[in-house]
Amino acid sequence: MVDRRRCPSFAKQLPVKLLRYLLISLLVPSTLIGFLWPFFVSSQSAANKAEWFFLLSTTISIALIVSLVATDDLGSKNVAFLGILSALVAALRPLGIGAIGIEPMWFALILAARVMGPTFGFLLGALSMSLSALLTGGIGPWLGYQVFAAAIIGFGVGIIPREIRGKRELALLAIYGAVAAEVFGILMDLQFWPWSLGSGTELSYLVGAPVTENLSRFFSYHFISALAWDIPRATITVLLIVIAGKPALNALRRARHKAAFVTHIEFEELANVRLNHR
Amino acid sequence: MITFSRVSLIYPHSTTTVIEDLSFEISEGEMVLVMGHTGSGKSSLLRLINGLVPHHTGGILGGEIIVDGYSTRSSKPGELAGIVGIVGQNPLASFVTDTVEDELAFGMESLNYPPDVMRKRIEEALDQVGLAPLRQRNIATLSGGEQQRLAIASALVMHPKVLVLDEPTSALDPIASEEILAILHRLVHDLSVTVVLAEHRLERVIGYVDRILLIEGDGATSIGEPSEILQKTDLVPPIVRLSRALSLDVIGTSTREVRKQSEEIRLTAPDAPRPAFNVGEVSLTFADVVAGYGDKTALNGISLQLHQGEITALMGRNGAGKSSLIKSAVGILSLTSGAISFGSGSSAKNLTGIAQRERSKLIGYIPQEPGDLLYLSTVEEECARSDRDHKLINGTTLASLHQMLPTISAQSHPRDLSEGERLSLVLAIVLAGSPDLLILDEPTRGLDYEAKNRLMALLHERARRDGTCVLMATHDVEIVAEVADRTIFLADGEKVADGSTLEVLLASPAFAPQVAKVMSPRPWLTVGDVLRSQSSSQ
Amino acid sequence: MKAFHPLTFWALFSSLTVGVIAADSAIVALSAVGGAALIVKFYKQDGPWRMSFQWSLLAGLVLIAIRALTGILIGVPRIGEVLFTLPRLSLPSWLPGIRIGGPVTWERLSSSLHEGLIIATVIALFGAANSVTSPHKLLRILPSRVYQLGVTLTIATSVFPQLITSISRIRQAQFLRSGAKPRIGQIAIPLLEESLARAVNLAEAMEARGFGQSKSQSRYRPINYAPRDLFWIGFGFLSATAMVAL
Repeated sequence: MVDRRRCPSFAKQLPVKLLRYLLISLLVPSTLIGFLWPFFVSSQSAANKAEWFFLLSTTISIALIVSLVATDDLGSKNVAFLGILSALVAALRPLGIGAIGIEPMWFALILAARVMGPTFGFLLGALSMSLSALLTGGIGPWLGYQVFAAAIIGFGVGIIPREIRGKRELALLAIYGAVAAEVFGILMDLQFWPWSLGSGTELSYLVGAPVTENLSRFFSYHFISALAWDIPRATITVLLIVIAGKPALNALRRARHKAAFVTHIEFEELANVRLNHR
Repeated sequence: MITFSRVSLIYPHSTTTVIEDLSFEISEGEMVLVMGHTGSGKSSLLRLINGLVPHHTGGILGGEIIVDGYSTRSSKPGELAGIVGIVGQNPLASFVTDTVEDELAFGMESLNYPPDVMRKRIEEALDQVGLAPLRQRNIATLSGGEQQRLAIASALVMHPKVLVLDEPTSALDPIASEEILAILHRLVHDLSVTVVLAEHRLERVIGYVDRILLIEGDGATSIGEPSEILQKTDLVPPIVRLSRALSLDVIGTSTREVRKQSEEIRLTAPDAPRPAFNVGEVSLTFADVVAGYGDKTALNGISLQLHQGEITALMGRNGAGKSSLIKSAVGILSLTSGAISFGSGSSAKNLTGIAQRERSKLIGYIPQEPGDLLYLSTVEEECARSDRDHKLINGTTLASLHQMLPTISAQSHPRDLSEGERLSLVLAIVLAGSPDLLILDEPTRGLDYEAKNRLMALLHERARRDGTCVLMATHDVEIVAEVADRTIFLADGEKVADGSTLEVLLASPAFAPQVAKVMSPRPWLTVGDVLRSQSSSQ
Repeated sequence: MKAFHPLTFWALFSSLTVGVIAADSAIVALSAVGGAALIVKFYKQDGPWRMSFQWSLLAGLVLIAIRALTGILIGVPRIGEVLFTLPRLSLPSWLPGIRIGGPVTWERLSSSLHEGLIIATVIALFGAANSVTSPHKLLRILPSRVYQLGVTLTIATSVFPQLITSISRIRQAQFLRSGAKPRIGQIAIPLLEESLARAVNLAEAMEARGFGQSKSQSRYRPINYAPRDLFWIGFGFLSATAMVAL
C-alpha cells in the first residue's frame, strides 16, 4: 500500500529550516569570493593555486545551494513547471546562435521568475543553465560560475514589488533585463579574466596590487568584451521584454492560475454550495 | 465501488455550478461512459473520482465521494494512486521520462516499491497492453496509439481497481482505437476493473459500455442503460440516428442488433444514388511526386488531380504519407522529383519555388495543431490581424466567425476556447483570404458531434457555393462518409485507391462507417443515404 | 557490452585533471589529451553530446590562440631572447596606460602557450568525460535527498527534444499563415503557451500517480560498479599520483 508521508511537527522542522537558511546565507557570499579572488591575491603562487581551487569550490557550493533550496517539498506542480520551463529556457538559448550575445533565454527566465517568484527563478536559472550544458555536451570547467550567475539573475527579479502591473511592470522588467544582462556579463568576465589573460599581460590582474589598480584593469578588459557580448545581450533582452512581455506574462499568470498553485479548497454541505454561489 | 452522494461542485472564481446534486453508484467491473456537450463538466467529474478535484485544482465541493471505501474529502490524489488510475487526454504531455520502461517504473519509484515488485508489475503491464517488444523505445518515437497504451500501462502498474480515461480514442485511427477498447474490455471482463471513460466518438465505444452517465446542458444528470439514455439526447452515434430514423422498436447500440431489425429495409429499398454535382476545373495536380526526409522516402510517385468544388478525403494508416502529401502541397516538404501545379491547361502554375505570399493566397492550410497559428491574446485581436493581413475591412473575419459560431465571445483568449471553437477561429482566419484551395490536416481531433456538424456544413458550403477545392486528411470515417465526394487511400507513400467515396469506403471493411456495416452489402454510407432510398421507394 | 557506471569516466578524468595541473608540464598535458582521445574513440556514446570532445578541443585551441595573441600584444615583457618587435600603439588616455606592441620575447610567448595548453587540456578532459557519459544515466544516480530535483531534470531532458520539434512546427505554421518569416515573438509565445499547457497537464498526472507521497524512493534498475569501472577509476587515481609526484 501507499507509504503515507510522515509529517514531523513544526517544532521538529524549525531547527532543520533554520540550518538550511543559515547554510544558504553562508554559502552564497562565499561563492561570490570565487569570482573576486583576483583582487585579493598576494603572490603569484597563491594566484596559481587559487585559480584551480575556486573553480572546484564554486562548482561544489552552487550544487550545495541548489540542493538546499530544492528540498523535497517542491511538489508536483513546481517540479512539472520547473522541468518544462527549464527545458524551454534552455531550448531558447541556441535560437540566437546566429550572432554572438543574442540570447533569448534571459527574457524567458526573467519573466518566468517574475510570475512564479524569486525562489522559483533561482532554481530556474540554475537548472536551465545546467541543462543547456548537459544537453549540448558543454559541461566545462566554468559551469559552476555560469550556473551561479544565472541563478542570481533569476532570484534578483524579486526586487520588483509584487503588486506592480501593466506598463510600469514591463518598464521595470526591461530595466532589470538590461541591468541583469550587464551583471551577467561582468560576472562571466570576472571568472574568465584570469583564464583568458593569465597574469602576465597589461590587462591582467596584478598580484598584490591595490584594489583600485586591479579594478581599472578589469574595466578595460570588460569594456572590450562588453562591446561584443553584453551590449547585444542587453539589447535583445530589453527588446523581447518590450515586444513580447505582455503576452508572455499573461500566459504565465493564466497557467499559474489554472494549475492552482494556491489551491482554494472548501468542503461544504450541499445546501451551502447552492445558496452561497447561485 | 464508486459512490457519489449529492455531489455539487463549483470552481472558486466562477458563478456557475459545474455539477449539482449528483448521486449515483458504480459497481465493480462496470464500464460506464460519461457523455455530454463540450464544457459540460465531464473532465471535472472524472477528476472528482480520484480527488484531483478539488485537492489539486481547487474548488468548492459539496457532498461525498467514496471510492473503494475511501472518501476523497480526506484522501489526497496521491493516496488514491493505488486505487484509481487516470489517463488524460494528451498522453504525451503526461510522461515524465523518455523511455517506455522508465516511464512505467516512475510511479512505483515515487512510491518506494521494492525493485523486484516493480520488475514483475512492469512485465505484466507491458503484456496487458501489448507493448513488450517496445520496452526500450524512446517515447517520442511511438505512434499515438502506442503512447495511449503506454499511458494506460502506467496506470495499470499500480493495480488500480478503477481506471478513469478522458477521451482515450479521440486522436487515434480506427484500428488503434479498436485495440484500446479491446484492452479496456479485457480489463473489465477478465480483471473486474471498473472503467469510467468520457468520449466524443460515441460510435466506437457505444457497443462496449454497460451504462451511460449523461450530463445535460443545464447540469442535470441521468444514469442508466444505453438504450434508455440515448433516447434523451441528440448527441448520438450514426447507428442510433439510424434506429431513430427508421423508427425501430429498440434503439440498438451494436451493428448486429440494428442489422437484424432493419432487415426489411435492407432487402427491399431501391438504390438511390447520391445527388450528383458538377465538378469544376482542375485545381491541384500532383505529377509523379517523390518526396522524403533524408533517406526515407515518404511519397513514392504520387499522381492525382483535385477539382474545384470537390471535397476530397485523404485516408490511410499512420505513416502512410498523408501528412507528407499535405506538407508537400503547402510547401513545407520539398520535392525530390515530380511537380505540383495549380490550375489547369495553359494557365497552370508550377507551385515549386513560388514565393510563400503567393502560395498563401492560393492555398489555405489548417495544421494538425490549429493553435500553432495563433499568438495574440483575444479572439478579436486575431481576427483584426487577419483583416489586416488579407486587406479586408476591419471586422470581416470576426463577422464570418460569428456566422459559424454565434456563441463565441470576442474577448475570450484563444487558448481558453474548446477544440471546436479554436478550429472555427482558425478556419475563419484562413478562409478570410478566400483561398482557392483549402487543405486540412486531421481537423476532427477532439471535436464533438456538434463541432463536427459545423465543420461539415462549412466545408460543404465553401465547396459548392464558392468552388473551393477541399483536401482533408483524416481518420474519421463518419465525416468522410457524410461530406467527402472523393476519397484517396495512401499506403507506404503510394496511392492505393482513388475514387468516389462510396466506392472506396464500401470496398474496405476496416474503414467502413457504421451505417455501411449495418446495411452491408447495400451501397449506403450514411443515415441520409438510407432515408433517401426509403423515400424514393415511396 | 554492459554500460559503464556514469561516474567512472568522470572520476578518471577528474583525477587526470588534478594530475595535469599538479605536474604543470606540457608533455604530461599532451599525453593526457592523447589518452583521452583514445578513450573517447572507443567508448563514445550516442546522442547530441558525443561531439563534446571535438568541441572542447576546438575551444581549447581558441583559448591557446587568445593567450598567445594577448601575450604578444599586451604582455608584460620578460627578460630574454627577443623574437621580433611590434610597433607601439598608444591608446587614448581614458583607457589606462596599456602598452600595445613592443618587443616580444621567446619567454613571453612560450609561457603564454604553456599556460594556455594546461587550461586547454583541462577543457579537453571535461569534454572527453562528457562524450562518454550519458546525462540520463547521470540523472539516475543522483542521491535520494535530491529526488524531486532529479525528476525535474529528467522531465527537462525528456521534454527538451520535443520542444525543439515544436519550434520548427510552429515556425512553419506561422510562416504559412503570413507568408513572411515569423518574428521571434510569434514563435516564442505559442511555444510558451504550449509548454505551460503541458506543465499543467503533467503536474496533474504526476499527482495522480503518487508523486511526493512517500518520503523515500526506490530505484528500478540500480546501477552498480563493475570490475571494469573499478579498473578505470584505479588507473586514474594512480596516474594522478604519479603526475603529482613528478
